[in-house]
Parts: sequence; structure tokens; C-alpha cells
Amino acid sequence: MHNVTDYTDLVETVLAKARHEADEAEVYLGVSDHVSLELRRRQVGEAEKTVTWAMAIRTITDGHIGASMTMSPARWEDCLTAAIASGRISDPQAWGGLPEPVTFSRDIDVYDPSLIPDADTASDLITSLCTAAENGEAEIAGGGVSLGRGSSLIANTNGVLYTHDATSASASLEMINGTSTGYEFDHVSHLNDLDTDKVAKEALFQADYWAGAGGIESCASDVVLTPMALSQLVGGILMPALSGRTVHAGRSFLADKKGVPCMDPSLVLYDDPYDGSGATRWDADGVATRRLDFIRDGTVQSFAYDLRTAYRYGETTTGSAVRSGAGGAPAIGVHCLKLDARRDEVREEKAVLANGLIGAHTANTITGDFSVELSNAACIEGGEFGAPIRSAMLSGNLFDMLTDIAGAGEERREIGSMTLPEVRFKNLHIIGTQE
Amino acid sequence: MATEEPRYYDVRHLAGTSTHIDIENGTIEAAGQSFADTAIVRALGATGWGMVAIDNFSEAGQSGLMQAVAEALSLSKVTGERVELADVKTGVLPVPAIKEDPREVSLEEKTEILSSIESAARIPGIVNTRARYIESEGTVWFMNSSGNEYRYESLRSGYSILAVAGRGGEMQMARESEHAITGLNMRHKEEKGREAAERALLLLDAAPARGGTMNAILDQELAGVFAHEAIGHASEGDLVKEGVSVIKGMIGQQIANNVVTIVDDPTLPEFGFMPVDAEGSAVTRTEIIRDGVLKNYLHSRETLAAVGDGVAGHARAEGSSSPIVRMSNTFIENGDSTMDEILEGCKNGILLKGSRGGQVDPGRGVFQFNAEYGYLIQNGEKLGMVRDVSLSGDILSTMHNIALCGTDRKMTPGYCGKGGQSVPVTDGAPHILLRNAVVGGRHA
Repeated sequence: MHNVTDYTDLVETVLAKARHEADEAEVYLGVSDHVSLELRRRQVGEAEKTVTWAMAIRTITDGHIGASMTMSPARWEDCLTAAIASGRISDPQAWGGLPEPVTFSRDIDVYDPSLIPDADTASDLITSLCTAAENGEAEIAGGGVSLGRGSSLIANTNGVLYTHDATSASASLEMINGTSTGYEFDHVSHLNDLDTDKVAKEALFQADYWAGAGGIESCASDVVLTPMALSQLVGGILMPALSGRTVHAGRSFLADKKGVPCMDPSLVLYDDPYDGSGATRWDADGVATRRLDFIRDGTVQSFAYDLRTAYRYGETTTGSAVRSGAGGAPAIGVHCLKLDARRDEVREEKAVLANGLIGAHTANTITGDFSVELSNAACIEGGEFGAPIRSAMLSGNLFDMLTDIAGAGEERREIGSMTLPEVRFKNLHIIGTQE
Repeated sequence: MATEEPRYYDVRHLAGTSTHIDIENGTIEAAGQSFADTAIVRALGATGWGMVAIDNFSEAGQSGLMQAVAEALSLSKVTGERVELADVKTGVLPVPAIKEDPREVSLEEKTEILSSIESAARIPGIVNTRARYIESEGTVWFMNSSGNEYRYESLRSGYSILAVAGRGGEMQMARESEHAITGLNMRHKEEKGREAAERALLLLDAAPARGGTMNAILDQELAGVFAHEAIGHASEGDLVKEGVSVIKGMIGQQIANNVVTIVDDPTLPEFGFMPVDAEGSAVTRTEIIRDGVLKNYLHSRETLAAVGDGVAGHARAEGSSSPIVRMSNTFIENGDSTMDEILEGCKNGILLKGSRGGQVDPGRGVFQFNAEYGYLIQNGEKLGMVRDVSLSGDILSTMHNIALCGTDRKMTPGYCGKGGQSVPVTDGAPHILLRNAVVGGRHA
């Protein structure tokens, strides 16, 4: 199994040459090994090993920022040349330098030395997953298990050289009963935390419970969004609106709302880069990460900045750079986002609960308007599931919804880079198919 | 117990260059190139597939390839499903001719051309403009243990322009994009920048859509997405095989109104074109629905052997991901209704235009897609503009509700996501009339 430390000589060579050709340079290297097994109904149909290697080079000369990426160590000179050529074309901007090295006082916990990406371990997990899904009518349609180990490195011409090791284990299951489907997954850093039993039971419950689903009349109703459903709207609409680039470029709904009460007073939204499976001590610029409060007391406190956007607009970086930009360059994102609001028994009063949303990515990302199909939705009351709903649409505006939250549940769930509770929203418009 | 030698193996290697340009509010944010070199090696053991995906494959050589085959074979031992492969036609189509090769246009010139589109969108009332260009070129090499070997050049390029209009704290956006396999397609396209900007301004005055069940006319782009989401995914052989397609076991049945014929054709010189599929099978036009009757599923070699009732040559993969059954160029065939007849047939309802994408749960048989904008229709006349309007429905009932198909089919390029992979596709259709459509909007 390979590690970024196998390539430190190469990184030094790249930086040594880059010093002669640019004011500053940075090398980011990521390598990983994964093994994944894919279920075809109850049996494993595919076993795959994935070995990745990618190096991104960024150069800065007189405020011209260039970037390039390669999957081949042998092409590092082409990559460096392309990065410098890229910088010549991009418009110059205010630039205060790449970061200097710092010492980190806290550790993160996203590496499990006992997690080895091997097919036998994955096979055992598949057996657990399938066994736990046996006690119902629904059948397994698909799913799988993936085990991974990766390492990344950032180094720059100011002497930064940080490495980061992480492991991951994930399991998913899709089940079907007639035309009722259920889907659940889990994703963790430590193998022992992977709960295949819970994944199987929830997928089974959904497929079986919604087998008898019926219609619903169009109505205005309180709606409870599970963390899975809520993450689709938060990730697609709210987070882009909090990006410093979006704000200063004039395409954020929240651009003029910093310091202005514009959300429910109980809403809290922050990024804690030390708590979650996306935990990291340094961001994609090599800047030390820190807690970033986006929303507190219903007021926008801060927007997210990477180094580039911060320099351009006279702000301070918030350590929010992630590797998602073109050519492997940093862009603004979040590491471990947390959302909370006033705790309440969100399933007590009558409402419609939705486990997922179909088509959330089609929302208007600027205005916050959306109109989506509900997935595995049901009427709830007294903490109990009532009539399952086969098909209904939910329309609303996320920014309006966040001004008046009915409550948030006690349990939290990590979905990708977000940790969210169930949240109850007031009086939303549902379009049903029942006359 | 696995055999010592694989029953079958293949390798698919992609090596090439991607180019990106990003211009926002007149500033060139990024313009550069990156280099890809990745491969997937598959081996079929006694039961199922073992696969190894490797970056930096160019340096692996023949010994690296055989080592990957051995590793894939070893991995296959944990599989339980006995995979069979259907016999298929092989062969590679010539890649359509390129009108202007973007590789021969400098990055500086491409940046200038894109900049002219972005500038054109900066008209009064517009608060943000963002133009992007992407180009991917390279060589695909495929070889399998049956003695087939193909190598072809792949080249795709395209641009998008987003304009955001703002007034009194309100904002609306509109987007235009074009992607092609026939070379550089963004010269003299300033009007696309202006179109996006003007539509964004118009949307500021558009009313939110009123939700409910009504007749809906879908324009060519949206009807194409409808065909893709509502029936295309459900016809994919892997979903049929796994039991998560609502149209499994319905070959030969009337599943749509008889005006409906839906085709997937990877041979068309559109954005979803494939000279050969990702497992070396020859590609061919496949009629999914003919005159409302379900005729074929889309297949890979594996799903054709397991399910039957369809055509292989529809396996696709993004980069070194494992090939899965995908659409390519999917469209509703022209009917015989004029636009006046469609408006008259609608009488009262809504005309939906443009697409912000869609999604389907093929097992449940429910889909959703979103229009960029629309117009109310009253007594067959087009009235005021509406925004943020989507449409959802049950696949099986909705297909019977396609009442009329126009004669003006148009193809629109885009990308489709499935199983974590994104591949280029084209969707197309004429204008269609959908009766009793469930339209989502913020007001009842």
C-alpha cells in the first residue's frame, strides 16, 4: 500500500524547480487504496481495487495564479509547465503569500490503523449486511461495502510540509418490495463504528413500510426533513450562499445579510474541522483550520474564505479551502459542518416526514426556491409513523424556511461533510396526487 | 473455487488532457490544462468480476497489465454471482469529423472567445456573469482476452454562460450552454450570452408557478429530459436485472400512448456518441419504445446474458470506473402534431421550457424534473411567464398521458449521473403535450 511519504523526494524536486520559475509554488499530493464489493441482489457480483495517485501544482507570479494536475509522477515537468502557463493567462490579483509553517496543538481522529482495505474483511461485512436484512418481505436489490486508506500531502516554497492520513469504511443497501424502495448507508473513519445492522434494518423498514403507500391531497403542512433530506437542500442552496466567492461575485442571497438577523433565532451553523470524518488540521491552501461560525442567533456571522478570495477582497482566510477547483486547485468548501436549532419533539405534532428528496439538485441555487418529489414520506403524529405516501411534491424556499424553524430533533447524523438533526419546518406546500 | 486463468479479461486505458477556462464578472479566474492517465482491468473468475483501477497506467507496461489481471482474478474469488457474458457484435465506428480542432487553438485565443460570450451577458440589470469552457481530449485503448483491440481518439468541448439579474434585493438566473464532439463550438456565440442575460431579467418579473394537476406542454429540451428520466433509466438492463426497474418484465406491453417512440442511439454524431462501448461491443440504435410498446432494454454483455430482451453496446464508464449500462443519445421520435394543435390540445395549462435537470427512482417508478421557466396557457394562448416550476409523476401512468408529439425534434447535450459516474449524453424530443401532469409550484 502506498503513502504520500513515498514521494517526498519528488515533491522536493518539483518545488526546487518551481522556485526558479515562479514567485511561489505549492504541491498537493493525494494517494489512496480502496477495495469495494458490490452486491447484485444477495450476491457479490463485483470486487474492485482502486489505486489512485494525483499531484496538483499551483504557482503564483506577480499575483497570477496558475494550476495543473497530473496522475503520472513522470509528467511532473509537464504539470509544472502547464501551471505556469495557466498563471500567465489568469488575471492578476492581490496576493499576500502562501502560508508559513505552523505547529498544530490538537490531533484529529480520522485514521484507523486496524482498517486494511482487503477483500476478506469487506466480504465479512457484506455477510453481516445481508444477514441483517433477512427479517422482512423486501429483497436486496443492490448495495455494497467499501474500505479505504488514503494519505495526502501539501508542501510549499515557504517551508510548509504537512501530511494527513485517513481511513474510511462504508456500507450501503438498496431493498425493494414490489415498487417500494428503501435505501440506507453508513460512512465512518473507524471500522468498528460501521453499523451494517442499522443500515440493513433501515433499508428493510423503508422498503416494507412504503409497500402499502397511497396518495395524499394537496395541503399546507408542517414538514419534518430527516438529515438525509435536509442535507440535500443545505448542501445545494445554503452552503454556496455562504461562500466568500459567491458573496463578492454578486450571486449570493446572503451577500448583504452579514450581521443582519435573517434566520430563526435558534439556528446555529458552524464548521468544526476537528470533529467529523472530514476532519483536517490544514486546509487545501495549507492554512491551519479553525472553527468557523456561519450563523448564530439567527444572524450571519461570517462567510467562508480560502486564501485567494480573502486576499482579493481584503478579508482573512477562514481555512475553508478544499480540493475541488479546476486543475486540482483549491476552492471554498466546508470540512465538518454542524447545524442545530431549538430542540423539540419534532415528530410529536401531526406533520409529513420525508426521508429523502428526488430532484433537490434542480433547485434554484441563488433564490433558494425548490420544488421536489418526496421520497419515502409519511404522515407522522405522536412520534409514530402513519400513512406512508407514495408520491407528492414539496415546494418552498429554503431561506424562508430557515426564518421560522419549528424545532430540531435530538439525534445527529453525519451525511458527507455535514452533521445534521431532523428539522421540522412550518406550513409548507405539498402537492398531492389524490383528488 | 476460482479457476487459475480468468474466463475473460479486458483493459480500458484513457490518457489525455483536459482544459478549463473560468471567467467571472470579466475576470479570468482560471485557464489551464491537466493530464489524465488511468485504466481499469477486469477479469472474470469462476463466479463474478474482479477489477483493478490504476492511475499512471502508461508506466505499467505489459508486466503491469498482467499483474493487474492476476490481481483482479484474485479479487474475483470473493464474488458469489456467476456472471455470464452474451456474445455480441464487435467493431468500432469512425469518429465524426472535427470542424475546428480546439487543440489547434491556443488557450489564449479560447479564453478571448469565451470572454466575448461572457462580456455579451453583462448588460444593465445583470449583477453576475460567469462563463466556463471545458475540453477533454485523449486516446482510449481497449483490449480483451477474446482478441479484440480498439484505439480511438476522443474529443469533447463546450461552454456555459450563467447570468444573474438583480433588482431591489431580488435575484434570478438563466443559463445557456452548448457541448459538442465536432470541435470548437463557441466562436460567434455572443448571442448566447445576451439570451441568458435577457431571460434572467425577464425572470425578475415572472410569477412563481402555481402547483397542481394540469395539462403541460414540454419544449424539446425538457421533453428530452423527461424521456431520459422517466423511461431511459428504467430501461437500463442492470436496474432491470436487480429488480429495481418499474418496467421489468413488461417487454411487448403497451406502456405508453401509441404516439410515443423512444430511442437510444449511440451512433448519432451527438454529444453522447460512442464509436464502441466501454467493453468493446459494437454500438447500435436501440428502440426502447415503438408506438407505445416496450421493445428493448439497454444492455451490457452481462445484463443481456442475464435478462435478454434488448441490445448490448450500452456499457459506458467515466474514466477508470467500472462500465455500467448507460444512455447515450436518447430521444422521443417526431410525431405529427403541429405546435398550434398542441396548444389547442392543451387549452388550459402550462408551457414548460428549458431544463435544470431531473432525477428518477426507477424502482418506485417516480421521477422529477425542473424547467427553467414557463408560460401559462389559457384557451390555447400563451400568457405570462412563470418561474421555478417542476414536474413529477409516476412513470407508468405518465407515459400513457403523452397525448401529442410535435414534428420539431431538437437534441440538447448535457451530462448524466449514475452510480457516482458522470457521462456526456444528449436528450431530445419534439414539443409534447402531457395530460394531467403534476406540476410543482409555491402556491396552490
